[in-house]
Amino acid sequence: MKKQNGGNAHFSFTSWQQTCLITSTLIGVGVLTLPRTATSRLLEAGWIVPILGSIGAYFALWMITKLSRRFPGMTIIEYSPLVWASPENPRLGKILSLPWIFIYLMFLYVISAISSRIFGEVVVTSVLLNTPLEVIIITMFLLAYFLCLHEVEVVARVNEILFPLNLFPVLFIAFASFQKAEWNHLFPLVRVPGKSMLEGALEATYSFSGYEIMMIYFAFAQRTSNKEKAGFFGILITTVVYTLIVVAGITVFGYEELQRVTWPTLELVKTTQVPGLILERLESAFLAVWVAAVFTTIANSYYTFIYGLRQFFGKGIVFQRIAALFLLIPLFFIALWPQNIVEIFKVSSLIGLGGLCLNIGIPLIYWLVLFLRGKGWDESKERKADG
Amino acid sequence: MSQFWNAWKKRKESLRDQSLQQHASKSMESVDDVTITTDLDENIALIEHQLGKSDDLVVRRFQVKTGQDAALVFLDGMVDCDVISQYIIQNLTSSSITYDKSATNELETTTGLRQIIRNILSGNTVLMIEGETEAYLNNTRGWARRGVEEPQTESVVRGPRDGFCETLMVNASLVRFRLKDPNLRVRHMIVGQRTQTDIFVLYIEGLAHPPIVEEIISRLEKLNLDAVLESGYIEQMIQDNRYSPFPQIQNTERPDKVVANLLEGKVGILVDGTPFALIAPSVFSQFYQSPEDYYERFYIASLIRFIRIISISIALLLPSLYIAFSSFHPEMIPSRLVIAMAAGRSTVPFPSLVEALIMEMAIEILREASVRLPGPIGPTIGIVGALVVGEAAVSAGLVSPIMVIIVAVTTIGSFASPSYSAAIAIRMLRFPVMLLAGMFGLYGIMLFIILILVHLSSLKSFGVPYMSPLSPLNLQGMKDLFLRVPYHLMTKRPTMFRVHDKIRLKEEDDQS
Repeated sequence: MKKQNGGNAHFSFTSWQQTCLITSTLIGVGVLTLPRTATSRLLEAGWIVPILGSIGAYFALWMITKLSRRFPGMTIIEYSPLVWASPENPRLGKILSLPWIFIYLMFLYVISAISSRIFGEVVVTSVLLNTPLEVIIITMFLLAYFLCLHEVEVVARVNEILFPLNLFPVLFIAFASFQKAEWNHLFPLVRVPGKSMLEGALEATYSFSGYEIMMIYFAFAQRTSNKEKAGFFGILITTVVYTLIVVAGITVFGYEELQRVTWPTLELVKTTQVPGLILERLESAFLAVWVAAVFTTIANSYYTFIYGLRQFFGKGIVFQRIAALFLLIPLFFIALWPQNIVEIFKVSSLIGLGGLCLNIGIPLIYWLVLFLRGKGWDESKERKADG
Repeated sequence: MSQFWNAWKKRKESLRDQSLQQHASKSMESVDDVTITTDLDENIALIEHQLGKSDDLVVRRFQVKTGQDAALVFLDGMVDCDVISQYIIQNLTSSSITYDKSATNELETTTGLRQIIRNILSGNTVLMIEGETEAYLNNTRGWARRGVEEPQTESVVRGPRDGFCETLMVNASLVRFRLKDPNLRVRHMIVGQRTQTDIFVLYIEGLAHPPIVEEIISRLEKLNLDAVLESGYIEQMIQDNRYSPFPQIQNTERPDKVVANLLEGKVGILVDGTPFALIAPSVFSQFYQSPEDYYERFYIASLIRFIRIISISIALLLPSLYIAFSSFHPEMIPSRLVIAMAAGRSTVPFPSLVEALIMEMAIEILREASVRLPGPIGPTIGIVGALVVGEAAVSAGLVSPIMVIIVAVTTIGSFASPSYSAAIAIRMLRFPVMLLAGMFGLYGIMLFIILILVHLSSLKSFGVPYMSPLSPLNLQGMKDLFLRVPYHLMTKRPTMFRVHDKIRLKEEDDQS
């Protein structure tokens, strides 16, 4: 095998681990605002938004999967030069692929910064009122850094083990708030014109950003695993969770009220009561368990960013550990860049848009280039025949 | 930079290697290549020189039937005197049995001085005869040993009562007697340069994954320890992550546990001089699984496993949950309880973190003291502890009554884990999580849990992920993780240890 690769992780990710990776990364801070963003265009029909969004997301993920099938066992960092130039000309390929890799890695970097900022804001405003925002952000970063100390197979196992903790709080809140649901908030089913339907769907795809990490992690998938299926289930689980949360938000509050709350999902939690009153108010517990979901988003993005850097420079685990530590400092400043919550939401919707362009754009452009260079699908069959 | 670092490290290593070699060669070089001669007196002098004329070295000279001078060399106290006098001396002097057929059960010949010395030191008797170039090594080991007793640390209500003792051969026999599989392999090794401790590596051929067995053996071979007095030395040296608080090799006093684990394709290590056997690779489930789970009906076994998991969580988290709730999230507790708690805490001058730390420290001191206390005065500590820590601390206004309950439940919870070395890991981790809870409340506790989960996921025991079968998910292994499903449903062995013979139970034919 000619590919140089760090660690002994090659071909070790099971299908289930891939599904967990996708779902855990997707479910993150976005859920806290999702009921509001989903209903802003489509009003009562906001619950369609995640379903529409998932189609776009799956399309992008499908292209990523096919790219990884075309270059089996390679990450985007490794196959980019092969896409942009012939293998005889590695330097040209590296130069041409540089902007794309740069955009991709920077995007992951910014995502991890902004996610931790949003999470910090939520924690500071609702649970730990006397704790400085910076402390929350730093603790999240340190956790992400701790993950970066390990090899890539650990990431898969961590996501697998935290998976129940990711799903449980959201599902619990969604189902528990159905006690107070007023189902007629959902009607009339469709009253918005087709144009805003499309806009809403576009916006919805924002909340599905995060699966771009698979451009790296599909390289470690087991040969026998079905990446398409793993991706499909990853997106499907997320869609179900998102839809449930939006439906819960609409049925409990109605769409007008949803527009006026900053963290609609957290408000849902506040209305929820545990039978028997073992715990009186749940938002602290919810946010505490929710840390796992946020951690997987932030840490996965940051790890992917660091791992991408490491592969780009062809370095080992020591480089990864040192780089991860020092790059936390700019990350901290990026996280503190937006001055207030309004700016944060502005930035995060910009990031959503950027994510959409990136997730659909990069695979699309790569495939276009591959076909234009006449190196599309056929060659991979030859490669397989070669062994 | 890194080159310089590497060079420096290499230089340091080579220096250390040199000094180690010098050290080792000084004591061993005189023995290694020396062979004995035909001169009896010279040979005896050689041995006496090697052992530094120790006073417990016995040289018994006599004449064999055929007339040559002979000598028996052994260490007093290490040998069974009856065997020597009855079967060796009597036979060789009186009857017509020749010395190469002396009537002990193991007889070897050697010419190397080193092997002779080793055999003397391990309780064998060396027979040397004037004019012979070889020495005869007779197995006469018979030092004071403890009998097979019930294990102290892992007691069960139902199950075999015998535990390992300090003698390697007895321990091996306890395993053999339960496992009459001809494929059981016993590899003898010697570790510890000075203690020369015998160990047995046990595995079932055709079940255990050969690379795992080889890995274990190669790590044992590389073991450069001076002394191995207990299996803990080996455990800490050969485990994958030496800095982890979690034991990556299981230890047990119970032969049935060793056999059960061998049958799952794991490897057992028996160490001479200690009743604790090692089992590797081992995974997280050792924290809450006991052999008894397999002896009782599966409903109760599964229920008890859940209870153990809950009690481990309590032992780890309850004090920190108290700290988090009382100092950060009082709104979560039902209002009546809050009032009761506030009333109880009204006289307490400290924040709840300090209160909890005081009580937990007191309990740890009590525990340590009660372990060290001589048996007859043991109950004293219970009375003193219960009175002081319980009643007096509350009435003096140092701690709140609810804190006493929490400390008590925490302590009891930590005893419910069947494995002591796993339980002490939990016991220790309780303190950092209390500090984090004191800083960040529930958020801090969750940070800690994630930290521990990441660490646990990164651990491996001889190539087997520590959190398997949970991650990577293995449905066959899940049948015996939280639940203990009935035997007829566990037809296959868990594959996480990469067993070769996967079928554990043949399908029953008589489904009438």
